[in-house]
Amino acid sequence: MSAAVESTVADTPVSADRPDGRRRPPPLLRALPAVLALVLLAAAPFFLAPFATTVLGRVLVFALFAVSLDLLVGVTGLPSLGHAAYFGVGAYTAGLVSVHVTSEGVVPVLAAGLAGAVAAAATGWLAVRSSGVFFLMLTLAIGEIVFQLATTLDSVTGGSNGLYGIPAVRLGGTPLTLAGYVYWFVLAVTVAGFACLWLVSRSPVGGVLRGIRDNEPRMRSLGYSPFRYKYVAFVIAGAFAGVAGGLFAAQVRLVTPSEAGFTTGALALLAVVLGGAGSLWGPVLGAAVVVLVRDALGPTLDGHGPLVLGIVFVLAVYLLPRGFAGLAGVSGALRRRRAARGGAT
Amino acid sequence: MTVHGLPRGRLLGSLGAVALLSATTACGGGSLGGGEESGGEGDGGGGGTIRVGLVIPQAGVYTPLGEDMQQGWDLWLEQNDSRMGDYEVETVVADEGEGPDTGVPAIQRLLQEEQVDVVVGIVNSATALGAADQFTEAQKLLIVANAGAGAITGEATSPYVWRTSFTNAQVAAAMGQHLAEEGVGPVYVMAPDYAAGQEVVAGFTEAYEAGGGTVAGQALTPFGTTQDYQPFLSGIRESGAAATFVFYSGAEAVSFVQQYDSFGLKADIPLYGSGFLTEGSVLEAQGPSAVGVQTTLHYSTEIDNEVNTDFVEAYEAAYDEPPTVFGMTTYDTANVLADALAEAGGLSGEELSAALEGLGEIEDSPRGPWSFNGQTPEQSIYLREVTDEGGTLVNSVVTDLGTFPQPGS
Amino acid sequence: MIGWFDQNLVSILNGFAIGSLLFILAVGLSIVFGMMDVLNLAHGALFLVGAYLAWNLLSDGATWGGFLAALGIAALVGLLAGGVLSVMTEPLARRPILDQALLTLGVSLVVAEVLSIVYGNDALSVGAPPGLAESVSFLGRSYPAYRLALIGVGLVLAAVVYVVVERTSVGALVRASVADREMVSAMGIDNRKVKVAVLGIGSMLATVAGVLGAPVYGARPGLDDTILILALVVVVIGGLGSVKGALVGALVIGQVESLGRALLPDVASFILFGTLALVLVLRPRGLFGPRKLAGT
Repeated sequence: MSAAVESTVADTPVSADRPDGRRRPPPLLRALPAVLALVLLAAAPFFLAPFATTVLGRVLVFALFAVSLDLLVGVTGLPSLGHAAYFGVGAYTAGLVSVHVTSEGVVPVLAAGLAGAVAAAATGWLAVRSSGVFFLMLTLAIGEIVFQLATTLDSVTGGSNGLYGIPAVRLGGTPLTLAGYVYWFVLAVTVAGFACLWLVSRSPVGGVLRGIRDNEPRMRSLGYSPFRYKYVAFVIAGAFAGVAGGLFAAQVRLVTPSEAGFTTGALALLAVVLGGAGSLWGPVLGAAVVVLVRDALGPTLDGHGPLVLGIVFVLAVYLLPRGFAGLAGVSGALRRRRAARGGAT
Repeated sequence: MTVHGLPRGRLLGSLGAVALLSATTACGGGSLGGGEESGGEGDGGGGGTIRVGLVIPQAGVYTPLGEDMQQGWDLWLEQNDSRMGDYEVETVVADEGEGPDTGVPAIQRLLQEEQVDVVVGIVNSATALGAADQFTEAQKLLIVANAGAGAITGEATSPYVWRTSFTNAQVAAAMGQHLAEEGVGPVYVMAPDYAAGQEVVAGFTEAYEAGGGTVAGQALTPFGTTQDYQPFLSGIRESGAAATFVFYSGAEAVSFVQQYDSFGLKADIPLYGSGFLTEGSVLEAQGPSAVGVQTTLHYSTEIDNEVNTDFVEAYEAAYDEPPTVFGMTTYDTANVLADALAEAGGLSGEELSAALEGLGEIEDSPRGPWSFNGQTPEQSIYLREVTDEGGTLVNSVVTDLGTFPQPGS
Repeated sequence: MIGWFDQNLVSILNGFAIGSLLFILAVGLSIVFGMMDVLNLAHGALFLVGAYLAWNLLSDGATWGGFLAALGIAALVGLLAGGVLSVMTEPLARRPILDQALLTLGVSLVVAEVLSIVYGNDALSVGAPPGLAESVSFLGRSYPAYRLALIGVGLVLAAVVYVVVERTSVGALVRASVADREMVSAMGIDNRKVKVAVLGIGSMLATVAGVLGAPVYGARPGLDDTILILALVVVVIGGLGSVKGALVGALVIGQVESLGRALLPDVASFILFGTLALVLVLRPRGLFGPRKLAGT
């Protein structure tokens, strides 16, 4: 049994980001895809229709949420089913701040991030003591309890009818009503959030987290406290899930208990696995697929989505063992091998 | 629906989605322009085409309701050659799923992408409430054909959001008033613990206590995760109640009614409910346990008027099953929309709302005459009792309890 | 005290009935995970298959013949499904547990959707076999006879599973596999055959529980997820891979869902996951899981 759980913990992450040699292209060239993607994303409102822009905005919100989960699942090796709890806490906080205090700029979003961090700090010290399936179930329990609280405290949250009538985000007193401006606001915060998570993952702390993920006893014998590092990762992930929730409230202007619920958490986990856990950028693509299909395609499927969804799950497990990130890794490896062979002849 | 809402009804291949998104870009124009005027093909009232978005659940727990609604809608169109007034009707169906996380984007897609002129349907109240702003902004008409939250045509009202169905409290208040008049004694009140359940409990309690009745106790059961009502049934027995009033629907209604019988309460404490307790397919599943249960609703297949007789006959001929309140309301929605279109000068929310306002009493409805009061029906509520008519269970009409508006309106 | 007991007797009894059903459901899930590391999220869908099978054979009037036939067919279907799952998860043996979870979740979505296409989306109810369909008077309270019978079936099955696992050579193999799989395969026992057998029996218990549960829960879309979550909670509370744990977990959750809700109706929504969280906070590996933390 102990061996089983150990292998679970050690296997969970996918190390697409392992330093795999010194023959990397120069930094400028490596950053090119990211810069290109950013330029495209920033220009999107100029050529996308309002609905498409809104969907893209939802993708960004969900992507930030998925990436914050990846810090737990991929980097730290803690598969959480209840991460939506902090997303929901953030969404409700931002919604309530917007309704009762101000919807000015990043104020609700920052409040959401803070609330997410506080909620994660309050619950995380319990959760990170376990691992593997037990961590999965404990986080599921936390998520369900937050979901029930959101449903029950209807004087604050609006219960199952949701918190509606959230005012539009304001910048300098002017409400952002056009889809394109809201999108840019979401994009700016998402990119900042992604950058923060990227930096955490690249920092020495990120290195220790990977170490714990791969071999906890060794890290402990080296003098690190796995508990403390996991706890910090949990709180950071909760904070950025909260920020993503705050963006959700700003974008959709409706928050319901399902934002904190099982489906949201499970879809985020799906995005992480589909994209490739541990790579941070893979889950962005995973989130894109999940949201595009749910919001743009789902309503047109006559209710036969689940069948297709199930088939996609099964195929993804067999065909994309390392997620989208793994796909890039494979093609990269092929290219390198080909290049090496080419060099030899 | 907490846990059992696994990610159903969502994903197809990424390719399809990407293709769809890039197709939408072809519309061009960007998303930075001012309020785009759209969907105005039929403006001017000289005929043409009206695109109607039908938003119904096609996946998840509410799917049976969605099927009935689709059938009601299709039946009306079939009977009227797909024409409303001078317009040819083009229906665009969208799946609202189980909640606003799928429903709101579905409506947004209809409004912005499909350029529909009018949206009808919507089962889930949170979806209707969450989408209301979109209709105000787009200045288009929404006719809610099921969702019963009071706020939709109450505190969250929009000039362009109308409702042809009911409000949760309206149906419950009728029973509260009736039981108070009957003097049945202390009543135990039970409903699932979510917004609709809370509204039903509040609506019933208020009306019952206003009529001089007393509530013996109340319980709100976990919504969507309660399969076994025995723990709560004990509470009813201990409370010394003389009657029980409950609101459940779908699978919960089946479990509750059967267990109320098998734990021996039905024999001692008569069961009353909001009409959804015994409506549609759940009645067949409940079987003999349901016989004798009395409920209130704004419709029953057994209502004795000519319009209803014809409607039931046509519906049974078309679908080989009796209509439900969900099918009837959507059928009626098409009828009302057609009446409004005949009067309105155009398809804007402004013009259609004015036309609906001017409809007065609607005479040709299977539920009997009704009228809009505050954009939601003021209508007869019927007291119904489940009876066994030659092996088939039906909701017989006991009496017409009179017309009720939305409570508090 | 007597008064309290009298008042809550039906709830306690009912807790045992639910607990019995949960045990049958959870013990398969627990052993499959404990021995094979397969987190079988299709377990709930298999339960639902059993429930619909029961409806097929019992909807035209419940007979003992129909009921027993449903049990037999369900057992066969379960064994087959377990074999298929075993083959499907074989290539994933060395992969993260999340991958197996994703695969079985995909399978369960497909199965549930196929069931809803075949049987429609309405809630169906299933009658209990003759003699058990009535309510009996139990110390002055009315109680459905079928649920009483369910307690008996649960006790018998618990005893059978206990004897098999604790007293037979097959059971010794099972226990050894849970404790140290490498050692078992080093002894020359084919791990794959063990896996097929264990998954087959585990899945069979799920479909059989579906038939047994049908007269109580009926058959409807969405029941699979609800049941799966309950079974997971039971397994985690009890401790993975432990028969004793599954039994105690099932009885605890049975009482929590019954007596707990009757005593604390106001927090009924929180009580299931509150219990789960409480147990895991006090015992991070479940009640009967290994004391030692992995890898330490």
